[in-house]
Amino acid sequence: MSPFEKKMNCKDVAPLLVFYVCEEVSDDERKLIETHLANCKACSEQFAEEKEFHSTLVSAPQSADELDASGILLSQCRSELAETLDDLSAPPLQEHWRPFGWLRRWMALRPVWSGALLVLVGVLAGTQLVPWLEQNSTTTSQAMNVRARQPLTPDQLSNMVVSGLTVSPASGSDSPTVQLQLSAEQPMVLSGTVDDANMRQALTYVLQNAERFDAGVRLDCLDALKAAARDQQVRAALLNAARIDQNPAVRMKALEALREAAKEDDVRQVLLDALQHDSNPGVRVEAVNLLVGALNGETPPADTASTAPEAPAVASTPAPPGEEDFEHVVKVLQELQRRDPSRYVRLRSAAALRQIGPREVQ
Amino acid sequence: MHLPRWALALADENGCSGSTNAALAAVTSLPNLDERALVAEAQAGNRAAFEELVRRFDRDVLRLALNLMKRPEDARDVYQESFLKVYRNLHRFRFECSFYTWLYRIVTNVCLDHLRRRQARPEDQAPELNPNHREEGITDFFERQREHRPTLDPERSMMGLEIKARIARAMERLSPRERVVFEMKHYQGLKLRAIGDALGTTEETVKNSLFRATRKLRNELGGLR
Repeated sequence: MSPFEKKMNCKDVAPLLVFYVCEEVSDDERKLIETHLANCKACSEQFAEEKEFHSTLVSAPQSADELDASGILLSQCRSELAETLDDLSAPPLQEHWRPFGWLRRWMALRPVWSGALLVLVGVLAGTQLVPWLEQNSTTTSQAMNVRARQPLTPDQLSNMVVSGLTVSPASGSDSPTVQLQLSAEQPMVLSGTVDDANMRQALTYVLQNAERFDAGVRLDCLDALKAAARDQQVRAALLNAARIDQNPAVRMKALEALREAAKEDDVRQVLLDALQHDSNPGVRVEAVNLLVGALNGETPPADTASTAPEAPAVASTPAPPGEEDFEHVVKVLQELQRRDPSRYVRLRSAAALRQIGPREVQ
Repeated sequence: MHLPRWALALADENGCSGSTNAALAAVTSLPNLDERALVAEAQAGNRAAFEELVRRFDRDVLRLALNLMKRPEDARDVYQESFLKVYRNLHRFRFECSFYTWLYRIVTNVCLDHLRRRQARPEDQAPELNPNHREEGITDFFERQREHRPTLDPERSMMGLEIKARIARAMERLSPRERVVFEMKHYQGLKLRAIGDALGTTEETVKNSLFRATRKLRNELGGLR
């Protein structure tokens, strides 16, 4: 059904004539228009005018006829396109970026002057620049050097990235000096000993958030923290690392860092846990060694003097392990001797049992 | 036998004469391929197939560009830009419409861009094609060729040129889109639906543009007699 009424009036037909002339009306519209034109003289005249206008427009010479009647332009276009496509399909030229092009051109034209200039630059760099750099590298570092006791904020800690950690050996009875280069909100260098609460906080944070830091960094942290193993916060971090760190070398090093405290209950418990549950034979052997050392009383006495005044020390001078604990250790070692999948661990357990044998006899 | 440039180039690339015949056989069969197969070949990286595609459609493309731009150098730019766009984007063509429609979509967009740019720079308007101030060069050559034809009536020719100049002036009054629609309908002979496809719009919108264009031309030209 057409959208138009059966009979169109002049007002409806007039706008359609443009499309009727160029055959862009539907069949229904055409029929209605033709019916109307047959009966309306005014519209017929308008249609005739429209038709003539249309045919004049269409038959007028076109620019294309005039501008490219022979096809020369078309040929030019084709060959230009082919050339462009050739360029596109050719492998791109290796254009290297040439810095200081002006300088290269200048030097190419004046070889003697260039040689003299290069020698002069070399001499200046060797005599002036290198010492100046060495002198300034220590003082004009862009990183903030933190020696203050101001603790790192949780934000700084959570954004912290360790870019370097240096542990210098202790001089005399002092704790080793640690230099921790890190980027938090801005690059900074923390330097001090592990007795410094700020330093301990940063180092233990690394151990507690192992997933964020490289295993190498964690190992360096353990090296630094070894001296402060009696501090409660440090002890907790070391125990934690010994239990759950993904990396066996880190677990082993954490156990080693706890050597001084191996007689204490919490450490012993971690050692026993390592013996029974650690997947790595090296860690288990280390645990055996430490346990045996503790039972044989090899551990040097705790050096309370080295503990910083503000560091809350764990109650020291633990009592020697009681009979019950001793039996438990022996039991675990015997179990290990029988069942451990690693032959070396079984042998080491057997040796350990022999080592602590006299006590068993007592 | 005349072989296109790319056929010879391909034969050269193959080097030995044994494979040359095979290559020529493969190449000469390209014109027999249908549009779809040719596009698929070109999409697979066959340069000869792409050039065959160009040859099938470029006459119409250049004609459209010349009629719209009125200047050979602009038409040449449109031609180059359009086919380079086709070349670079051919892998995106998914046969959802005919290649012809897709090509025209690109060409009309390029033409519209050029026309709009030109409209924004009044100093860059197309030259008025006045029969009394003909440009030298190619055009004169063609005119001379025409004059030798015995059937040509000089008076009628002058009238035609006069009308053409008036139409060209009137066309300048149309918006770029109206001009493209008018050109495609009356000089390229496309249906309104196809024009809508090419311009990425509806048939109704194209109809409106054509109506407005015709009305403006009627007002400008009055009675063309």
